[in-house]
Amino acid sequence: MSGQQIIKKKKKFADEPNFTEKKTYRPNDVKETGLAFVGHEISDDGKVMNQFLHYDQLYTIRHGWNSPFFKGLLDGKIMGTYCPICNDTWVPARTHCWRLNCNLEHTKWVEMPLTAKVHTWTVAGWSGRSSLKRLPIVLIYAIIGDSKVAIANELHKIKPWDVEFGMPLKIVFKPKEERIGAVTDFHFEPIDNWKPSPMNKEKERIKKLVEPVYEWVKTMK
Amino acid sequence: MHFGHQLAPEWIIHDHLGLVGLPHFRVENGGNTGGSALYAAALSVMSGHHDVIGIVGWETMDSVSQSQGAEFIAMASDIRYELMVGGIYPIYYAAMANKWMKDNKVKEEDVASIGAKNRNNAMDNPKAQWYRNEHKYITVDDVMNSRLISYPIKKYDCCLMTRGVAFLLVCSEEYAKKVNPDGYCTIDGNGLSSCTIRAGDRLNNPGWTERYEPNYPEMTEFGACRNSAEQAYKMAGIKNPKKEIDFGEIHDAFSTSEAQIYKALGLADENTIAQFLRDESTHMHGQIPMNPGGGLMGYGHPVGATGIMSTIECFYQLSGMIPKKHLSKKTEVADAECGIVNSHAGTGTSISNFILRRGK
Ligand SMILES: [Zn+2]
Repeated sequence: MSGQQIIKKKKKFADEPNFTEKKTYRPNDVKETGLAFVGHEISDDGKVMNQFLHYDQLYTIRHGWNSPFFKGLLDGKIMGTYCPICNDTWVPARTHCWRLNCNLEHTKWVEMPLTAKVHTWTVAGWSGRSSLKRLPIVLIYAIIGDSKVAIANELHKIKPWDVEFGMPLKIVFKPKEERIGAVTDFHFEPIDNWKPSPMNKEKERIKKLVEPVYEWVKTMK
Repeated sequence: MHFGHQLAPEWIIHDHLGLVGLPHFRVENGGNTGGSALYAAALSVMSGHHDVIGIVGWETMDSVSQSQGAEFIAMASDIRYELMVGGIYPIYYAAMANKWMKDNKVKEEDVASIGAKNRNNAMDNPKAQWYRNEHKYITVDDVMNSRLISYPIKKYDCCLMTRGVAFLLVCSEEYAKKVNPDGYCTIDGNGLSSCTIRAGDRLNNPGWTERYEPNYPEMTEFGACRNSAEQAYKMAGIKNPKKEIDFGEIHDAFSTSEAQIYKALGLADENTIAQFLRDESTHMHGQIPMNPGGGLMGYGHPVGATGIMSTIECFYQLSGMIPKKHLSKKTEVADAECGIVNSHAGTGTSISNFILRRGK
């Protein structure tokens, strides 16, 4: 067998992308340091030691077949997918139909309307470290167009206690130059001329719960 | 690199327990890690391949700040769609619970009583984080007046962030009879099921609508809990869980989710759940006490250890060890023969249930 060259023929899954349009919006204070011991402390009796390990890593999230959704955000569009067999539509998008009867059919992309309705909602008075200063946050799950699923995002331009199940919404994008291709590029707002219902017991209750949050946020640096 | 600064720390623990040469592997499944490890251990013993399996779970959540910790946990949500829109788990759960409570006519006070119940139960458990730290009995009003986390959830509707570890031995019944003939319990039923990572994907999901009914589980019900409970009940021969199960240690990440779990376990339906709560059916004096050990809100929620912690509390009840392990008999379920353990991950993304019975 010596000297015989075996050539394997592989079917290519996809061509390797050539990335040409690049954008960086890394804040100046974000530095990748990798792993570093950055300090230690020892108890006064000399018995216990704590050591501080810092770790900072940049991740690449390859969106692959989901890319049109995130690219769409840059253009101020909400892209969904639908199944050409059963016509179910989704935002967040699915790359394949969820029905086993459709045999995981590869879906097609469709531009969704910039209208939605509230499926469920909450008023957050506490959150993760990177969101604390934006509190209180009205987080809703909304159904965009005829999507079969609900998508989470923030509802702005409303008093937190005025949110209602089923209320009609519009989707509002950040100015083009501020968009980063993430779901934070857009938020929901009530449709024009929408009027909240009068105050009631539940609204008073939410108002009472939320008021200290405004005060607390003011004290944050 | 989340709470743990060491990848595969189980390799260190295994070595230091003198177990080099014996098999080890990691089970990781979010908040259902403990339940999933128990599931794997039970199946391994049932298969006849292993006689004795030790399962150990832990979390060191105090290695970072609380808001940073909440954000770490939120990285188990779909980070592409949910993490950056102000989302952390209490917020997702609150959005789900808000609709569930309206659909089921359950009031804030009704679920607040669960928050008070579990913390007060924990006051009888000297290992509980609530006992060791805050150390006070609280009322429904205290829960109602605690600070807003995400409506309708307040601080005392939430579980604790915890540094903790739990260890449990799962073995064949023959082995148990040899080493602990009077104090073992059996795993008579187990079930594990799954749901979508994003709660918003559950409105019309064919995986559920074809199995149960249209519009199930919505964003409100825990389909994976119902499904895994049905598996466990079937295996253990349970037809009427409310009558045949004496108590449970279940995943009260939030008081609202404990109430939602009651329904998923078949203890009440949409017409009876509100009254079931108002009757205090799951308090120590109720028909089916839940979380006598304090649960995640009172005992603590060291994520990787939690399901094992719940199982251990269930085992204590079934083996008559509560008077020794707790401070009094107040939190003992008298003559308990059958308990349920529930372990829960994501927004209900993975849920396991176990039926445990006193050994014969
Ligand atoms: Zn289809």
